[in-house]
Amino acid sequence: MLARSCLRSARAFAGLRNGAVHVSKRAASSSSSGANAESPLRLNIAAAAATAVAASSIAWYYHLYGPTADAATPAEEGLHPTKYPWVHQQWFKTFDHQALRRGFQVYREVCASCHSLSRVPYRALVGTILTLDEAKALAEENEYDSEPNEQGEIEKRPGKLSDYLPAPYKNEEAARFANNGALPPDLSLIVKGRHGGCDYIFSLLTGYPDEPPAGAQVGAGLNFNPYFPGTGIAMARVLFDGLVDYEDGTPATTSQMAKDVTEFLNWAAEPEMDDRKRMGMKVLVVTSVLFALSVWVKRYKWAWLKSRKIVYDPPKTPNTPPRL
Amino acid sequence: MGIWDVITELVEAAAPWSTADAEAPAEVPEETKAEEPEEEAEEDEEEEEEEEEPVDPKETLEEECKNSKECAPAKHHFDECVERVTNAQENGGTKEDCVEEFFHLAHCASQCAAPKLWSILK
Repeated sequence: MLARSCLRSARAFAGLRNGAVHVSKRAASSSSSGANAESPLRLNIAAAAATAVAASSIAWYYHLYGPTADAATPAEEGLHPTKYPWVHQQWFKTFDHQALRRGFQVYREVCASCHSLSRVPYRALVGTILTLDEAKALAEENEYDSEPNEQGEIEKRPGKLSDYLPAPYKNEEAARFANNGALPPDLSLIVKGRHGGCDYIFSLLTGYPDEPPAGAQVGAGLNFNPYFPGTGIAMARVLFDGLVDYEDGTPATTSQMAKDVTEFLNWAAEPEMDDRKRMGMKVLVVTSVLFALSVWVKRYKWAWLKSRKIVYDPPKTPNTPPRL
Repeated sequence: MGIWDVITELVEAAAPWSTADAEAPAEVPEETKAEEPEEEAEEDEEEEEEEEEPVDPKETLEEECKNSKECAPAKHHFDECVERVTNAQENGGTKEDCVEEFFHLAHCASQCAAPKLWSILK
């Protein structure tokens, strides 16, 4: 039914174009003769029209669905952190363990009063940041629950290497209560858990302006930081020049401390990075050796084929006249 | 000691490189201990001199960058905005703020200062 009505309308169009005189003839003739009669101009117009429809349907689609609507002002989005040339993020570079040591010092003296680092045990610090004795001494400074004794009482014991770094607050409610309802996040995976990673943490720590720009609304108990989404952050600026005394004599400027502590937090989030990069290097070495081997083996195996020679030796038939 | 330990030890002995383990530094003999206080005192003096005014290189660099030709348009817009908004605030409230202009300026400045800063920091 549909096909027939289409045919009819096509015929009607043909009639319009060719003039009324030929209508009866065309209608009587078969469709194939009609196709033969089609001029190249018509075909060109059809192709151009089809292309125009296709292109405009794409354009229409992007007009409808292409642009995404963001209902956020730049202030709500937060200033995107600048990319810093972190050495430890290069493919063949490890963490700077001197920087990790400084960063751990900054964490312990500054950050640890509010932020926990609950996924890092003392044993992870051994050999990467502290020596064995230093880590043991540090662990023993804190008390942990021991096994129940004979009466079922749980006593306290000094920490061991297998214990985890102590949290500053007992639970989330205590943390919120102490910080005006704001929860200081755990820093174990903070570098992985924030867009921008190291760049974000560094920018956030050093990005507090002396005063918020004119007209900016800063909520009660909040501080202006351009890098924090919404620009109102409960954490005040904590790093000030000369706050920490570095044991290796590095000048403790704000940006130096921020850089060290960011690298330390990156280590806390992926302590396996050094090993991972070494493993990657091993993979490259082994695969390149195997590839070189395979090239040589291929040469050896294909030698007979590559060095063969096919010769056509025509039969000797003298005194025959050349064919014409 | 298992067979595997024997093999690893043999490999370690034959390998041309050695692995470095961070052991605790050995107890310093008393002779060197006696010398140390002087050195420490010298170091302390140096440190104190340095730490009297540790200036954050980030701030100075970004200040330079803000006033450089690179960030001139952003700074121009920011200054103009601050002027406009403070005037408007004095004459009665305004809902405008300079956060966006501040973002552009801060982005430009930190972008420009980043490589210089990293060459200074340890």
